[in-house]
Amino acid sequence: MEASISAALNVSVLAMGVIFTVLVILIFTIQLLVKLIPYKAPPAPPARAASSPSNQDDQVAAITATLASHMGKRPDEFRIVNIQSH
Amino acid sequence: MEFSFSSSASKIIHSTGFFSLGGGDIIMLGVACVLIYLAIWKKFEPLLLLPIGFGCLLANIPMSMMASTDSGGLLNFFYQGVKHEILPPLIFMGVGALTDFGPLLANPATLLLGAAAQIGVYMTLIGAVYLGFNMQEASAIGIIGGADGPTSIFIASKLAPHLLAPIAVAAYSYMSLVPLIQPPIMKLLTTEKERKIKMEQLRPISQTVKIIFPVIVTIVCCLLLPGVAPLLGMLMLGNLFRESGVTARLHETTETHLINIVTILLALAVGSSMTAESFLRVETLKIIVLGLLAFSFATAGGLLFGKLMCKFSGGKVNPLIGSAGVSAVPMAARVSQKVGADTDPTNFLLMHAMGPNVAGVIGSAVAAGVFISLFGDAGAAIDTHAALAPIIGNPEPGMQALATVVEAVKQ
Repeated sequence: MEASISAALNVSVLAMGVIFTVLVILIFTIQLLVKLIPYKAPPAPPARAASSPSNQDDQVAAITATLASHMGKRPDEFRIVNIQSH
Repeated sequence: MEFSFSSSASKIIHSTGFFSLGGGDIIMLGVACVLIYLAIWKKFEPLLLLPIGFGCLLANIPMSMMASTDSGGLLNFFYQGVKHEILPPLIFMGVGALTDFGPLLANPATLLLGAAAQIGVYMTLIGAVYLGFNMQEASAIGIIGGADGPTSIFIASKLAPHLLAPIAVAAYSYMSLVPLIQPPIMKLLTTEKERKIKMEQLRPISQTVKIIFPVIVTIVCCLLLPGVAPLLGMLMLGNLFRESGVTARLHETTETHLINIVTILLALAVGSSMTAESFLRVETLKIIVLGLLAFSFATAGGLLFGKLMCKFSGGKVNPLIGSAGVSAVPMAARVSQKVGADTDPTNFLLMHAMGPNVAGVIGSAVAAGVFISLFGDAGAAIDTHAALAPIIGNPEPGMQALATVVEAVKQ
């Protein structure tokens, strides 16, 4: 029994050593790969064209209707003068 | 042919399963019903425990020819996939197709957590040897600590096929109990301050690196431990399907239909091996206790190494991600996230925990490879090839044909 337990201990130490060695090799490999092939952000999408006057009218109408419904007022009781995009 | 009502009735009664039902069969039918109950009503790994439970139910109906040992029976054919180590690697292919190695590549040091969690495997190995199992059996039991069902089945079928049923059931049962087993250990071994540590956002990784990674892992690991090639090779092939971007159909099939079909076959085959003779033994109780110890030690190993990394990194690593090193993807990572969020709801550890979690899959596969290198039967492959030679034919004519083609090209 004692011999078996000492054998199991030996196997455990050896196996943990092998596992750490293999995974450390992988760590260095990954680090090398990431260094050699750095991440490049994909090109930014082209900037959106400025809203045409007709688009802006549609937006004003939609926002006016939503606000009127939200505030419980008639749409002619207030006026949207400017839409700013951030 | 003379017909007698009484003799025919007696023959029919004697041919029913009830007539041959033994005490062991009744107990195993009860075990099967418990597994089905746990799967359906308690939601314990239902995708596996349900077919395992039903396979067990079928296998213990006398004269049904549904046990894995019933040559010519339906489930005996399914069992050949386990016996010849076909189904677990196919499951690994599906797991690879489902796994994103990005978090691991972004923080490769977390591979060490996947290695540290394997301490559970070896503590259990020692415990199993102490309880009287031989080294092969102890290895198969120890691998339960890897928290990886297919790896447990793969190793058990290779090193201790007679213990396959209790090992598979223990592995999958404890995997489903990860959310119950791990949190108390995690809270016991970490301070509140450590659990509140917020980790830096992971850096993005080039798609090219993600494509090269599975190829490199296959070359490095399979050259070092050839015995692990079926498992790790299939895992990495599945991942290459995912990352390459040129095999969308294969990727889709692997991560959905293939893994589902193979899961049904594998789970039924495992269930069919749960007969009274193979399951109702003292060894089963020992394996169930050892399996719990394996999971607990693996969790503790990952956590303690996480604490070490926390100390050496100047408090940049939250030790809770260490417990995810036990594999059990992605449940163990979710547990790290939950325990972290319980302490600080604004702390998001999930992606950080996915690194050690997938490292655990690689770590447990490597641990399996070490066992195969140490205790596997190197001659088995040669025997298998010899046995298949009459079927696949002599390779010589193929070589001659190749030589002819080479000569033709030269000319």
